[in-house]
Amino acid sequence: MTDQALPLQQEEKQFSLAKDAFIRLIANRLAIVGMVLVLFLFFVAIFGPYITPYDFLSQDLMARNQPPSWQHWFGTDDLGRDIMSRVIYGSRTAVIVGFSTVSFSLVIGLFMGALGGYFGGKIDAFVVWLIDITMSIPSLLLVIVINVSLKPPLVNWMDARFLATGNEFYRNTIWVDFVLVFGSLALIKWPKAARIVRGQILSIRNKNYVLAAEALGVPTAKIVRRYVIPNALGPIIVYISASLGEAMVLESSFSFLGVGVRPPIPSWGNMISDGLRIWQLYPHVLAAPAAVLAIVTIAFSFLGDGLNDALNPRQWK
Amino acid sequence: MTKLLEVNNLHTRFKVRNGYLHAVNGVSFSLDKGEMLGVVGESGCGKSVSMMSLIRLLPPAAQITEGEVLLDGEDITHASVSRVNSIRGSKVGMIFQDPMTSLNPFMKIGDQLVEGIVYHRKIAKAEALKQAARYLKMVGISNAEHRLNEYPHQLSGGMRQRVMIAMALLNEPSLVIADEPTTALDVTIQAQIVELVKGLREKLNMSIIWITHDLSLLAGMVDRIMVMYGGYVVEEAVLDDIYKAPLHPYTIGLLKSIPSLKTEAGSRLPSIPGAPPNLFSPPTGCPFAPRCAYKIGRCQDEVPMLAAVSGAGGERPHRVACWVDVRERGVEQ
Ligand SMILES: Nc1ncnc2c1ncn2[C@@H]1O[C@H](COP(=O)(O)OP(=O)(O)O)[C@@H](O)[C@H]1O
Ligand code: SF4
Ligand SMILES: [Mg+2]
Repeated sequence: MTDQALPLQQEEKQFSLAKDAFIRLIANRLAIVGMVLVLFLFFVAIFGPYITPYDFLSQDLMARNQPPSWQHWFGTDDLGRDIMSRVIYGSRTAVIVGFSTVSFSLVIGLFMGALGGYFGGKIDAFVVWLIDITMSIPSLLLVIVINVSLKPPLVNWMDARFLATGNEFYRNTIWVDFVLVFGSLALIKWPKAARIVRGQILSIRNKNYVLAAEALGVPTAKIVRRYVIPNALGPIIVYISASLGEAMVLESSFSFLGVGVRPPIPSWGNMISDGLRIWQLYPHVLAAPAAVLAIVTIAFSFLGDGLNDALNPRQWK
Repeated sequence: MTKLLEVNNLHTRFKVRNGYLHAVNGVSFSLDKGEMLGVVGESGCGKSVSMMSLIRLLPPAAQITEGEVLLDGEDITHASVSRVNSIRGSKVGMIFQDPMTSLNPFMKIGDQLVEGIVYHRKIAKAEALKQAARYLKMVGISNAEHRLNEYPHQLSGGMRQRVMIAMALLNEPSLVIADEPTTALDVTIQAQIVELVKGLREKLNMSIIWITHDLSLLAGMVDRIMVMYGGYVVEEAVLDDIYKAPLHPYTIGLLKSIPSLKTEAGSRLPSIPGAPPNLFSPPTGCPFAPRCAYKIGRCQDEVPMLAAVSGAGGERPHRVACWVDVRERGVEQ
């Protein structure tokens, strides 16, 4: 055996744990259903807008509130827009908001949680205090406050920049909606990530296997990489999966209440809100976005549970 | 016999909310090469913390404030962190109480076993795995090559403790510290592990420190016994002296609470009334005073020093920390 063979072999071992976990995931039927639906959602969000049968904005006032048909699989809404195209485009909104929110909240949460868990003492007390404060603010209130106080000055500033510079970038104020939505969602959601990370670090640091590795003189960096991170990863991956679903639901609720993504940009939330006004007459206008939202939520929760079981060797039979 | 380990006046404390918890209060003892020492005392008496202090395997809140630990003449208490790491990887092996949580669930047994020697000895992993298989066989695990590829959850508690023992022995340490290695196991497995360690000790000629709260377990196994109470060593002597001529009231109490063949089934064993002292605000005098049937006036105010028993001879005499010579007091309690 030469020394060069060493890294190769270790890589193979690490890979085999991932492979074992993947085999477990595949064996779980509900997780497969969840995974297929989630992958389909991502596919639609990325490529959907190029394959929609109609433009999501194009109105056909001669064909308003049409029930589902061969031309319009999900029917049309009160402006004669194709609902399927709008649901597909809405998936892009949901996925963009979901991913940005979860990444933002995860970055803040990882940082704060690791800070508290590792350094303990006063720093930890401060982190816990910040988590408690943030969690005690009603999220809807926070979003409304942010929306009301930050949006008008931001939009005004962008208008002024556009007039002054003529730069097209400042013309499209749609992005302000997005930034405000996932900014406030991240603010609401980071404490949960921080709690998970902090709890994981605290408990794993005191685990006997970490002590045993220290007793063998294994260096700290290696202990973190091979003992702490793999053991902490399960709950974090589950958190990512669950909160992607949650963020999409929250985005929809905010858009539904008019403080999220606003028409004409389609969001399942504002579509549901539109549909609610006329659902007694035209139930299909409400049904499509509501059903899609429900399916996506369930898909993420199936996938999250499946990942949790698959990533935990203690539960392997 | 040559001396392997010498511990002088070791003090360890924990920083807690508003002050310090004094877990180890001046522990001194020595250990010869190939010798086996039993450390005994109720739970919370500072056994684990004092023995972990030997190789500085302590949580961040702990601090060694005084004393020195000499292993092969080298001062560990003041060595650099990297030096301590390499001592841990080459000279000392640890076995812990709870085998169910001592193995990383995400790593295969083999990977975990060889982690230390691959790093410290710079040997190739395949070679290390072969050696690991040899040690697994030595600790009585059949089908060793196959076991290397299993995850911890696939092994029973007794098996995992055997793996932990193999892990501790793999770097061929001169000192093994076993912290209540059988406490979490059921009685038959416990006996198997004790037999295994006895056999390995003869084969590998290493020194062992065996920590337990069960004095009866040490019979027929160790050379010397050190009794700890409230972070102090209260008595230390060869096995026979502790069993047949105990001199500290605490040791006497521990011995009385061991069931013997004469104990009638169902009868209650006398246990020492009361509980070990709170180490956050330790008593000013003898730590055992509140529970002691022999106590005299000065016990409340002055801590008795650990000293050779009058009349005891030899290079390492029977030592005890008590103001009263129980031999002169006859049977009490
Ligand atoms: N991480 C810690 N933080 C604070 N106190 C501790 C910690 N670990 C142990 N102690 C305290 O140190 C004392 C001695 O503990 P220990 O050595 O574990 O006892 P034993 O091993 O004899 O049962 C106990 O009072 C215990 O509460
Ligand atoms: S010093 Fe006094 S209180 Fe302490 S053990 Fe001896 S007799 Fe008892
Ligand atoms: Mg202990």
